[in-house]
Amino acid sequence: MDHLIFEIGLAVALIAVGGFLSGKLKFSVVPFYILIGMAVGPHAGQIWHLDFRFIESAPLIEFMGRIGVLFLLFYLGLEFSIGRLIKSGKSIAVGGTIYIVINFTLGLLFGWGAGFPLQETLVVAGITTISSSAIVAKVLVDLKRTANPETEMILGIIMFEDVFLAVYISILSGLVLSGSTTLGGVLLSALLALGFMLTLLIVGRKAVPLLNKWLNVSSNELFALIIFALLFIIAGFSETIHVAEAIGALLVGLILAETEHVHRIERLIIPFRDFFGAIFFFSFGLTIDPLALGGALWYSLGAVIVTLIGNFIAGMIAGRSAGLSAKASSNIGLTIVSRGEFSIIVANLGKAGGLLPLIQPFAALYVLILAILGPLLTKESKHVYKLLNRIFKWEKRNRTEEKAALGDEPAG
Amino acid sequence: MNLKETDLPGIGKKFVIATRSGDKLVIIVHDDGRRELYHFNHDDADESISMVTLDDDEARHISAIVGGITYKPKALETIEVALDDLIIEWYRIESGFKCIGLSIGELNVRQQSGATIIALIDPKKGKTINPGPDVVITEGTLLVALGERQHQKQLRQVLLNGGG
Repeated sequence: MDHLIFEIGLAVALIAVGGFLSGKLKFSVVPFYILIGMAVGPHAGQIWHLDFRFIESAPLIEFMGRIGVLFLLFYLGLEFSIGRLIKSGKSIAVGGTIYIVINFTLGLLFGWGAGFPLQETLVVAGITTISSSAIVAKVLVDLKRTANPETEMILGIIMFEDVFLAVYISILSGLVLSGSTTLGGVLLSALLALGFMLTLLIVGRKAVPLLNKWLNVSSNELFALIIFALLFIIAGFSETIHVAEAIGALLVGLILAETEHVHRIERLIIPFRDFFGAIFFFSFGLTIDPLALGGALWYSLGAVIVTLIGNFIAGMIAGRSAGLSAKASSNIGLTIVSRGEFSIIVANLGKAGGLLPLIQPFAALYVLILAILGPLLTKESKHVYKLLNRIFKWEKRNRTEEKAALGDEPAG
Repeated sequence: MNLKETDLPGIGKKFVIATRSGDKLVIIVHDDGRRELYHFNHDDADESISMVTLDDDEARHISAIVGGITYKPKALETIEVALDDLIIEWYRIESGFKCIGLSIGELNVRQQSGATIIALIDPKKGKTINPGPDVVITEGTLLVALGERQHQKQLRQVLLNGGG
């Protein structure tokens, strides 16, 4: 008996329930999709026709999740523009660099301190460094923070992280997926990956006029077919030469962002991104057995604490160096601690490369905690700041500095 | 007035306005068409005191009110939009203007003033874009003209006094 469609329908219904719950509780959808996925799966039971084990449809759900990653990264590439990054100003470049240096170093130290082998350490550092662009942007809009002075810095750091992610995943996939054990072999495959990316970008730039002509079709159907063909062929080909398919998708997005059809492509892609993106989180949850989480618990908690401290300090330094107030600066770190899609993509890379199975539950718990805690900290940033201000006394110092600058007697 | 414009990647555009009255107004134009207006207190630039969210159509309507297009403040003679030294002005032809009943050609607008009439908006007859010389100016019409400042001054005289 083939119940494939019914199982997929059940899966999508469960995801919808997760989304509904998150809306009711005013939470980010990401942890809910993952939790729903974890709640069912091979360890779950079967009630009459409702098979919550998803045995028949598991490969298909996994495949849809993979497509979800492609759409997420493709959209990221579409939205991203080099010109925008260059225009975004010096303070953001400084802030982004500070953030990456502090948090990536902490991630490496954490992996090394926890006793992971080198490749696993690199994956863990990737998981803990990259914020979730989707959650951060959504939280800023939902909490009406877009007008705040620190918002440009937050979005700038996020953009910086996206660039870091692209470069890092391409190097990491060269390392992890190539399967070569000698240093020479690893270097060769990393070089090949980078070479492929550069070639694609250069050729893509040259091909923009041609793409403009190709995409100048009035039929929406044909337009969608051309875009999807480009996306899947290039992403799929990347995979064959050990460049993560996600990076291939990102590159296609970057190239198509230069064409004059970029808004039409965005309109076309958004519904696909949302639908398959939701399935991606669910399918990630599906691969996690809640009963096997115990072994990763302490690692995840440790990583969460390291991330919180690292993000807060980086946000403080970045904000203060850009001339923001202590309060606005504290908001930066408390906003960018949210973790989500990118951490999972890096973790999946580890899984594809056959690294320690511990990485998956570690990433799951870590993302779950920070996808819930991050938006909460953002929301309550005022209280967090007040609390920390009692200890560190930024406010008082500022007032003293201002008074001193005005030539008044400093307040004792 | 001090205006600063920045990009919010993935969200939209942000305009920060420090007004002469000492308030700080921040306008966010979201890529999905919504607008948000935030009012900040000048003592605390980190926390907005109040905010309003508008849909695209509401925002357009309100912009017309704020821009003085729906109702002209009594203290101002005309509404204007400046493009470098070129100015677009709106003139409401009120009763008592000598130009009423005369055609644009009879008034000899371009030679007399140097300004160009780009549109006439008649409450009864509707819009006439780029009216020809034989179009007659009626009472209650909104006349839109393009020209430099001194041209606009001359045009005002022509409309008031009915040509040379």
